[in-house]
Amino acid sequence: MAVQTLDDIHEMAQQLRVDSIRCSTAAGSGHPTSSMSAADVMAVLLTRHLRCDWQRPDDPANDHLIFSKGHASPLLYSMFKAVGVISDEELMTGYRQFGSRLEGHPTPVLPWVDVATGSLGQGLPDGVGVALAGRYLDELPYHVWVLCGDSEMAEGSMWEAFDKAAYYRLNNLTAIVDINRLGQRGPTELGWDLDTYAKRIEAFGCHAIPIDGHDLGEIDKALGHAAEADRPTVILARTRKGRGFDEVEDREGWHGRPLPADMAERAIIELGGQREITVIGLQPGPRAPGPTAR
Amino acid sequence: MSLPRYELGAKVATRLAFGQALAALGARGDVVALDGEVGNSTHAEEFLAKYPERYFEMFIAEQQMVAAAVGLQVRGYVPFAATFAAFLSRAYDFIRMSAISAANIRLSGSHAGVEIGADGPSQMALEDIAMMRAVHGSTVLYPSDATSAAYLVQEMAGRSGVVYIRTTRGAYPVLYPPDETFPVGGAKVVRSSPGDQVTLIGAGVTLHNCLAAADELAGDGISARVVDLYSLKPIDTKTLVEAASATGNRLVVAEDHYPQGGIGGAVLEALSESGHHVRLAHLAVQGLPGSGTPAELMEAAGISAGQIARAARDLLSG
Repeated sequence: MAVQTLDDIHEMAQQLRVDSIRCSTAAGSGHPTSSMSAADVMAVLLTRHLRCDWQRPDDPANDHLIFSKGHASPLLYSMFKAVGVISDEELMTGYRQFGSRLEGHPTPVLPWVDVATGSLGQGLPDGVGVALAGRYLDELPYHVWVLCGDSEMAEGSMWEAFDKAAYYRLNNLTAIVDINRLGQRGPTELGWDLDTYAKRIEAFGCHAIPIDGHDLGEIDKALGHAAEADRPTVILARTRKGRGFDEVEDREGWHGRPLPADMAERAIIELGGQREITVIGLQPGPRAPGPTAR
Repeated sequence: MSLPRYELGAKVATRLAFGQALAALGARGDVVALDGEVGNSTHAEEFLAKYPERYFEMFIAEQQMVAAAVGLQVRGYVPFAATFAAFLSRAYDFIRMSAISAANIRLSGSHAGVEIGADGPSQMALEDIAMMRAVHGSTVLYPSDATSAAYLVQEMAGRSGVVYIRTTRGAYPVLYPPDETFPVGGAKVVRSSPGDQVTLIGAGVTLHNCLAAADELAGDGISARVVDLYSLKPIDTKTLVEAASATGNRLVVAEDHYPQGGIGGAVLEALSESGHHVRLAHLAVQGLPGSGTPAELMEAAGISAGQIARAARDLLSG
C-alpha cells in the first residue's frame, strides 16, 4: 500500500504502535508507552522527510536517524520493519533476546544505527558530531534527525549539544523532543510547559517549534521547516505517553512496562488491529542549500 | 607524512610531541582534532595552525567533545580529542558508551599526575589509567619521551576502539633516536645487563625517575634493569616475564597515579595471567596531593628516584 496521504500516515503510525506493543509483550520487557508517544512524529518523518536508502545503509548521502531516547527501541525497530529491512518474525522473536541484534537499546550491531544509545543525554551530542561532519567535512546535504526524550532534557550534556549546534550553525540537525510529560517514576521537571522549553532552546541559539505531537499536519509542517532552517531546529512535540490505548494513555506507572497479553490484545483492537504496511520513503538527494559554512 | 624528530637528550614535553605529531598526521585528510579549550596546553593547537578546517573547538564541554568525536567517526573520520586527562573523567559515560558503539576515537589526556605541580589536585589526573583500562576494547598508551610519543600518535590513527594517550606536562630528556619504533603492546628495556638484580618499571615521568634510581643504585654496586612500559593495554607480558626472571623476580613499579587500576595493577594482572610469581614493590600516589613543585610532590607521593632506589634495596635485602 502506498503511504501518501495523512490518513495513510495515520495508519502507519498505528502500525508502529501496534508493533511496539507486540514485540515488547512478546519479549516480556521493553518500553511500549514511550514508543507510542512518538509514533506519529516518526511516521511522518519516515514517510515524508527522512531521505535514506535503507538497502544501502553506508550510502554517504543518507540522512541519519538517532534515537537519543534509546529505550524507544520498539518504535525504532518497528520502523525498520516498516521499511522492510527486518522481518516481522525477527521483530517478534528477536527483540531483547539473547544473541539477537535487536537489543534492549539500539547499538550499531544494526547497520542503520550510528551510535549506541540508552544512556540518556548522549544521542543528541553524538548527532552534533555527525552534523559537524556533514556540514564542514563531507559537505553533503544529508540531515541528522534526533529523537529525544523530555526526561533527558535534565541532562547537562543536552545543553552542551544545543549550545554547540547553535555555535556551529548546524542547520542540518533537527532534534525532536517527545514531550510526553512522564518520566520513569512520575512527571518530568517541566511537564507540558512548552513555553519554558522553547525559551531555553531559543536562549541557546536554536530554533524552537512547539507543536501538537499527534497532529500529523502540524508535524509535517514542522519537519519541513526544520529541513530548510538556517540554524538547528528543535521540535517540541507535546505528546501523550501510551497514546492510542486508553487504559495506559497519559497514565503514571507504565514506564518501561510491557503490556500483559490480555491488555495487549485490547490495545491492538483499539489501535485498529495489526497491519503490514511497508514504506519506501524518500531516497537520498539534494535539498535546498542552506547558508554557507563558517 | 613524516613525524617530528627530536634530538637525544633534548628536553621536550610529551604533550608537545603529541601536538606536533598530530599536526604531521594531518597530512591524512581524514584526521580531525577536537579541543576542550585547552589546545595551547595539550598542544592540539599545533594541528589548528596547519589544518584549521579540520579542527573543532568544543570549548569547556568535555562530554560534547567526546560525543562529537563519536559522531565524526560515524562518517569515517579519524578524530583526536584532547584535554587535561583529569577532565576526561567528566566524559567517562560517553567514553564507556563509545565502546558500546564500537566507535573508533582517540583521546589525549595531558597534565597527568602530581607531576603538574603548583596547580594542585583538581588538575591532576590520578585515576585516568584505571578508567581507560576498564573500557572494553580500549588501548592505553603512556609515552615517556617525545620520540615515543610522536610514534604512538601515529599508531593511534590505525587502532580501533577507544585509544588513549596520557601525556606529561613537564619537559624531560628525549630517550630514543628518531627512527626507533614503538609498536602498541610492546615495552622497551631501556637499561639492562646480564647481572641485573632488580627490575624498575615506569612510564611517563616515573621512567625518568627509574633511570635516576638505577644510576643511584649503580653507585652502590647494584645493577638494575629499567623497563619503559609505554603500552599499558595491551601490555607486553613477555618482556615483563623475561625481566622478572632475569632479576630474581624482584620488581619495583613506580607510577604517577593512584595505586588502584594503574600501572602496578596492569603489571600484576599480566604476570598473574602468565602464572609468574614476583615480589613487587608498588610505588603509587597514596595520599591526597596539594600544590608544590613537581619534585616536592613526587617525593611526597613516594615515587621519586630516591624512593624507587630505596624500594629496590629493600627488595634485595628482604
